[in-house]
Amino acid sequence: MQATAWEPEGVEALLDSKGALADPAAVSGLDLRSFYKQLVAARILDLKLGRLELPMWAPAAGEEAVSVAVGSLVGEEDWVFVGNRDAAVALTRGLPLTEILRQLLGQASAETRGRGLPGSLSSREHKLMGASEALGMNLGLAVGHAHGQRLFSRGRASVAIFGEGLTTTGMFHESLALALAHTAPMVFVCKSQLWPEGAPAEAGLMGDSVAERVRARGMWSRRCDGADAVGVRRAIAAALHRAHDGAGPGLVEVVVTPLAQDPPAERDPVERVRRLLDSRGEWTQPFQDVTEAEIHGQLDKAIAEVSQ
Amino acid sequence: MSALKPLARLLVELLREDERRCLLGEDVGNGGMLGLSRAVAEDEQLRARLMPAPLTVNAGVAHAGGLALAGLRPIVVLPSASALLEALPALRELGRLPWRSGEQHDLPVLFVVPNGPGFGIGGEAAESVEATLARVPGLELWAAGRIEELCACLRSAAEFDAEPSSPGASVGPRVLLLPRSVIVRDLIADIDLRAGLDRPLTATLRDGDQATVFAWGDALEPALLAAEACAAGDESSAGYEVRVVDVGRLAPLDEDALVEAASATGKLVIAHSGPRRHGLGAELAALFADRSILHLDAPVLRICGEAEGLVSAHDEVTASPSAAAIADAIARVVHY
Repeated sequence: MQATAWEPEGVEALLDSKGALADPAAVSGLDLRSFYKQLVAARILDLKLGRLELPMWAPAAGEEAVSVAVGSLVGEEDWVFVGNRDAAVALTRGLPLTEILRQLLGQASAETRGRGLPGSLSSREHKLMGASEALGMNLGLAVGHAHGQRLFSRGRASVAIFGEGLTTTGMFHESLALALAHTAPMVFVCKSQLWPEGAPAEAGLMGDSVAERVRARGMWSRRCDGADAVGVRRAIAAALHRAHDGAGPGLVEVVVTPLAQDPPAERDPVERVRRLLDSRGEWTQPFQDVTEAEIHGQLDKAIAEVSQ
Repeated sequence: MSALKPLARLLVELLREDERRCLLGEDVGNGGMLGLSRAVAEDEQLRARLMPAPLTVNAGVAHAGGLALAGLRPIVVLPSASALLEALPALRELGRLPWRSGEQHDLPVLFVVPNGPGFGIGGEAAESVEATLARVPGLELWAAGRIEELCACLRSAAEFDAEPSSPGASVGPRVLLLPRSVIVRDLIADIDLRAGLDRPLTATLRDGDQATVFAWGDALEPALLAAEACAAGDESSAGYEVRVVDVGRLAPLDEDALVEAASATGKLVIAHSGPRRHGLGAELAALFADRSILHLDAPVLRICGEAEGLVSAHDEVTASPSAAAIADAIARVVHY
């Protein structure tokens, strides 16, 4: 297939743009239909939250592969340090929709007493740590937390999700150094935006590979395509497995394509898994309608409840 | 023997008593720049909780916060209070986090840092940085003063189980400032390492009714000496008694105790190291103007370091108020 500007470089692809699996064994043990339902729920959550016109709201459509993989793969005792585009992690981890809405709406009855940052969620019970104000500080906190987890017992990890913009900050590099120095069971998940027309200076990296830079400093890393939800899942699972196993920190770079950029349909991670299901005869329009109606219904009910 | 030795022994006791405590900082594996972690480093059983950090003070402070989130109680030993200014973004993050989480999280992290003049190095290593640190939201700022109370201050500061400042509030990070000129001094008295501070942090150390002197850190001892000189009097006049208050906690201020002590005499002197301009003495003076105005019988005098900026090594002595300058100020307000 002809490479286009929409195809990220240096990624391990499992699910191609037609929805064909490079390695059928990659989905053994994975319930593809419920996996797809989680992706659809993440998408609809983002679209519906976007319509609430929250201040400083940043849409996450196109990044569902990351949220669903992290939310569903972390262990019971693992903590996730989220950013401001990771509401679907909370949804997948089981934070009730009403609590998600209360926090995002800044209501005083929320667990955060309405003090969290815009778009960010924090829940002690669901082991989610909200975003920090100062750039990159959540990375330093997450590494310290992972270090503490290791001292208490084996088999626990901490995960931090962030955008590639943070990788030019000193805190990113300092956090990598500390994670390595303390063999912290830490998984860095970096969402790198794809820039088909060349990265602007604000992106900091000019489109280069964060995973490669991290590998150069001696840390395990993988680069995968955010449009390939199966590949993202495998890479994050591998990083978590290493961390749980005491092998130390790792970084997974996911090249995401924000839907706001109006990319071709095959750059949509939800659509790609739909194509996979379709090719296996597991997708029907009624299944799609029921899946969408379910999350729409839950969200409408929750919005009505917190608006009272 | 300098006060650093008993402080180092106390750190061993603190780590032995509570296995959630761990010791962080640059070079702590080799005793740290001040030797404060040497006794811990020599104890085989404590080595696992001794965490030498790379030269990354900002990430190191955030790291300590992360350890606390995981259930530990980190004690961070830094070579200088000014290192906390380098780590200000992380320190501010630690101060804000319990609040921003809706009090879901405590962050019991203790930073132990030398502050002010006393090492004879000058520049940043002679700077008193409390005015900057006092502005960090959510941070408790403690100032140890007298040499015989250094260990008791450290023990009390490492104790986070005391009642929260307000009901329902979570526990935030704490900084304990050790005055450089005090910790290098010889410590003669025997120190009971098991004893915490047997008084409130903000407390009257000497009673008197003619004036009140507020001081903290290394200004405390000159303030007490000045009070003694005033009591002794001289050939021309009889002595008089003045009250000396250790401010002790610089943030949040114990406003009620301070106002009570100010209103009792109405004649106030505030003494502290570092420049007068933008110092915490100004905050105290404003507090008394707000809440003690009807009791005031003289201008509120602030006696501070002479220099407005940094001082060089040979000028370090000018960065702190002398007992003579404080006694002179007391005489001025008493005879106003």
